[in-house]
Amino acid sequence: MAGRQFIGKPARRVDAADKVTGRTRYVADYQLPGMLYARCLRSEWPHAVMTHLDVSPALNVPGVAAVITSADFVDDGRFGFPVRDQYILAHERVRHVGEAIAAVAAETPEAAAAGLHAIRCELEPLPAVFESAQALAPDAPQIGPDRSDGRHPNFLHSEIVRLGDPDRALPQCPVVLDAAYSVAQQEHAYLETEGALAIPTPEGGVVVYASNQSPFINREILASVLGLPADRVRVIQAPVGGSFGGKDDLNYQASAQCAALALKSGRPVRMTFPREESMIASYKRDAMHMRVRLGALPNGDLQVCKFTGRLDSGAYASQSVFTSWRAAVHAMGAYRYEHCHVDIDCVYTNNGYAGAFRGFGNTEVCFAIEQAIDEMADALGQDPLAFRLRNCLRLGDETAFGQRLEESVGLAECLEAVRKASGWDEKRAAYARQPAGPIRRGLGVAAVFHGTSLGAEGADYAASTISVAEDYSIALTSGLTDYGTGAATVFTLIAAEELGTRPERIRLLRPDTNTSLESGPTVASRSTMLGGNAARLAAQNLRQMLDFAAASLLNCPQNRLLRVGEAYIGPSEEPATWERIVDHARSLGLILSAHGRWSAPHIHWDSQAGRGSAYIAYHFGAHVAEVTVDMRTGKTDVTGFWAAHDVGATIFPQGAMGQVYGGVAQGLGYALMEEARYEAGYLQATNFDTYLIPTAKDVPDITCILLEKPYSQGPFGAKNVAEPAMVPAAPAICNAIAHATGRRVRDLPANLERVLLGHALSHSDGGLACKIGLARPR
Amino acid sequence: MLIQFTLNGRPVSVEAPAHLTLLTVLRDYFHLTGAKEGCSIGECGTCAVLVDGELVNSCLMLAPKVAARTVLTIEGVSPADGSLSDLQEAFIAYGAVQCGFCTPGMVLAGEALLAQTLTPTREQIRTALAGNLCRCTGYQQIVDAIAAAGAQRKEVN
Amino acid sequence: MVAMRQRGPWFDRLVDISAIPELREIVVRGDQIRLGACVTFARAAAHPQLRALTPMLAEACLSIGGPQIQNVGTVGGNVANAAACADTLPVLVALDAQAHIAGAAGERVLPVSELIIAPHHTALQQGELLTAFSFAAPPAGARSIFIKVGRRNAQAISRLSVAAIGHVDAAGLVDHVRLAVGAALPRPQRLTAVEALVHGQRPAPGLYALAGAQAVAVMLDITGRRWSTEYKEVALSQLAPYALARVLEDAPLPTRFDTP
Repeated sequence: MAGRQFIGKPARRVDAADKVTGRTRYVADYQLPGMLYARCLRSEWPHAVMTHLDVSPALNVPGVAAVITSADFVDDGRFGFPVRDQYILAHERVRHVGEAIAAVAAETPEAAAAGLHAIRCELEPLPAVFESAQALAPDAPQIGPDRSDGRHPNFLHSEIVRLGDPDRALPQCPVVLDAAYSVAQQEHAYLETEGALAIPTPEGGVVVYASNQSPFINREILASVLGLPADRVRVIQAPVGGSFGGKDDLNYQASAQCAALALKSGRPVRMTFPREESMIASYKRDAMHMRVRLGALPNGDLQVCKFTGRLDSGAYASQSVFTSWRAAVHAMGAYRYEHCHVDIDCVYTNNGYAGAFRGFGNTEVCFAIEQAIDEMADALGQDPLAFRLRNCLRLGDETAFGQRLEESVGLAECLEAVRKASGWDEKRAAYARQPAGPIRRGLGVAAVFHGTSLGAEGADYAASTISVAEDYSIALTSGLTDYGTGAATVFTLIAAEELGTRPERIRLLRPDTNTSLESGPTVASRSTMLGGNAARLAAQNLRQMLDFAAASLLNCPQNRLLRVGEAYIGPSEEPATWERIVDHARSLGLILSAHGRWSAPHIHWDSQAGRGSAYIAYHFGAHVAEVTVDMRTGKTDVTGFWAAHDVGATIFPQGAMGQVYGGVAQGLGYALMEEARYEAGYLQATNFDTYLIPTAKDVPDITCILLEKPYSQGPFGAKNVAEPAMVPAAPAICNAIAHATGRRVRDLPANLERVLLGHALSHSDGGLACKIGLARPR
Repeated sequence: MLIQFTLNGRPVSVEAPAHLTLLTVLRDYFHLTGAKEGCSIGECGTCAVLVDGELVNSCLMLAPKVAARTVLTIEGVSPADGSLSDLQEAFIAYGAVQCGFCTPGMVLAGEALLAQTLTPTREQIRTALAGNLCRCTGYQQIVDAIAAAGAQRKEVN
Repeated sequence: MVAMRQRGPWFDRLVDISAIPELREIVVRGDQIRLGACVTFARAAAHPQLRALTPMLAEACLSIGGPQIQNVGTVGGNVANAAACADTLPVLVALDAQAHIAGAAGERVLPVSELIIAPHHTALQQGELLTAFSFAAPPAGARSIFIKVGRRNAQAISRLSVAAIGHVDAAGLVDHVRLAVGAALPRPQRLTAVEALVHGQRPAPGLYALAGAQAVAVMLDITGRRWSTEYKEVALSQLAPYALARVLEDAPLPTRFDTP
């Protein structure tokens, strides 16, 4: 951008030097004198009632300092929003394999493990349900909490979108598609497992360092379950080794377990998870079964979409209420329809529970709708990319749920960009003519729209503080966390741009509930827009004071001030350094400290009507994947990838591109190899030898195109990128597989068996991996 | 047992039980926490270090195996003056760092490769990184950084 | 190491044999090769003569794990662990490799195919040490290939692997053929029935297809139908013919980066 010093220019990530030298300390790297090691006893049953729990024998084990159960928490440690159905430690019942029952703190990890062995816990297995289709059967065992509305307690939630009357319109359509799709649970596979360190304070409170996403939510839960006033609980954000939505609930439980053990023992307590425990106990991306019916005119105009989805929330609600809403809003894809109904239902089962994961419902539904769109294009005999261009949302269009898109709509441009960059027209034609042979090539496209931030889900705001320190450096805070995304660098660059100072002068302080301001959760790709606007406002407020001081010092009106680097220049053309301006401001009695708080414009969603304005703005993007498929083995290689994203504006280019590359890689794993499969409630892959994520040899070089359709309310026009970078990757790859092979894989992952045989081969280890993973001594 | 070896250029000796892994000894005895525990079964590479210049997973190597050998961890990669190596600088310049948990292992994998060749192809770089998982970056900027550092070293030499 | 993490040390002593020079030697004399049991995958794959004489062994070694595993893991360890999916096993069996076993009573020699009794069970007795493998390189002019199917392109356990050696005489007839499969049988063995079918014949697609069907029949005969059979019978019926075609026809030698 012209006239900008830092925004959109290559920059150094603010925390990178510490990371490339290994100096960054994650929770597992923290050691304090007298620190105890904590571990949890976890359920080996998917559904059971606790008939007997006696933890006192653990206290006789040498080295054990404290043991806790649900009885050590207020209201048995119940928490959860919006559904309060979860416990810090299981209360009376366990509902999934890996649910924590009791926690021990001891001098060594080995003593903690010995303490767990000494606990007397008797679980009586209960009938369980593992198939979401059977969860609402009248005789299905109850998993969810009692409901007052008379509905089945295993029914959790439903969300709808309503436009017109698809049931009447669909049979009128000359071309109709009806297809079923499904996605499996996906593990976040952050390389750093969960962890927390709690330190008791002399006032009877606790300080918790946590590898979590949202320290303020953690503090709220901690204060509630520990029965402490909020000012006695301080949560300090530890560096996070990857999250992708995955460091919420389980880390809040670990934080509360450590805090209770610290308060009980009077000593610091750290808990870090071995990989198996992490995979077994952590929540996953939900599995979803979907049915898509589309109707179109022979000329290629889409008319009707009827989308139904059944989301398996597993044992607890976690974020599924919100996930199902985002799924419903995005289920029809970024297209115009005359009639559209979406129904997303979510239910409880005794599988591991589902929570937030990059894309948050959209990743799941996009897989279905973007394949259905391809299948419809096939049925019409149209090129799938041209078909998308014909029907896609453009500026001024109204979405299926009734929101007029008034600015920042770059979908058609994204589609054109990947079409050109990938050589779409030539390659599609060439691959259509390829001779029959064992290795076949294909090219596939998928589009995405993705609402920025929380939307009508909740109050949407963020806050920042900024102040000039004694050494003339600038301390900036945000209530939002950088768990690897680059948000800290984005905030720094925005503040530097506003202040006209070098980014190196700014220190972004780690989020800390005592020093930063509550900003809602760090989720939903909201950091750049919400946190960025807050940082921008804070910096503007500070800038006003500095401009005032500069005008005073240089004896001129503010509109005569110029900047050269950090220095101010007045009519005398004698530069005044940053330090001189700061000194002068202080001599005037100014306190060089400011706040910034930004609230998103109000929008309204009518959940009964299934209509409204869902999000303040939308990200748009398109992916093209090129694959080779070995027809003898079903092995698919992604050999090329083109990703175009309308990000509004780019703040930190390497960061934005890194989000796209990483998102594509996660989508590639989701498409081809990742499967957190539960058999009778037991996770079948508990470490990286069986839960496979892409290696450097599985991901091709990716061409990333960042398009900028500025959004008036975004900082410097920016929207978001992290989540939508992943969303369309899997359907693009599966569309490419269909192009290559003529066979469509409608269930994820498109592994060797599904590509070769058309279906998966099921195999159960009888719970062995989970039992070994939960039993290991250290 | 007493284990003597060269750690980041300095001769060291440590008394530790023989069944401990090199990773445990580095982290708990030498307080070098740059090598991480990611999986403990040799699949993720966050614990990678160089032993006699070869990339190994320290979670799968018993500590006594490094007796009389040289071990380089991420803490020993930077020049003594506290600045960054050219490869570390390239990681920053190319945006190869996100959450940072895989980064020490990635830097060491890059060093092991550049010790073999300064002009690796992108495919060779990807092969050299195949034992180091990254969940954030999609590997692309890591490949870029290693290629650039190799080219730069080639120019200097 | 992985088992020790799960169970803790269940032994009172552990002997590091990796520094014994004899166990780390690669000796090539003419077409006779002796490979120490402690030769790492990386060293075996990098050895120029070994690469030239038995490229498929290098291919197998480079297909295992990632660089860290290849730098530390050994051929002897891969064999002694006796996993059905071990990647060096079909190669060594196709080469008719002999395992050299040292014990207090002296050395005994056993074909690798007999050393492995069942998955994770070998004929090694208490007090015995696997020291080396010896084998003759394939006849001059023969081609060899190792094909592996995994769920990803590195750090992948074989879902199926095929090792094949072939040579065609001046008259255009097959005069040497070896075929072994991995991750398909409880213990590795040459598919001699398939070899017999091909030997003395003129290479042709029809022959390969017959051989593929025969390979599947042998597998089913040994394993019966298991959960993965539906996949493996289809894949093997096509990979075995492909491997034979590659070693019996004038095609460029495959490499690690060649899509199988």
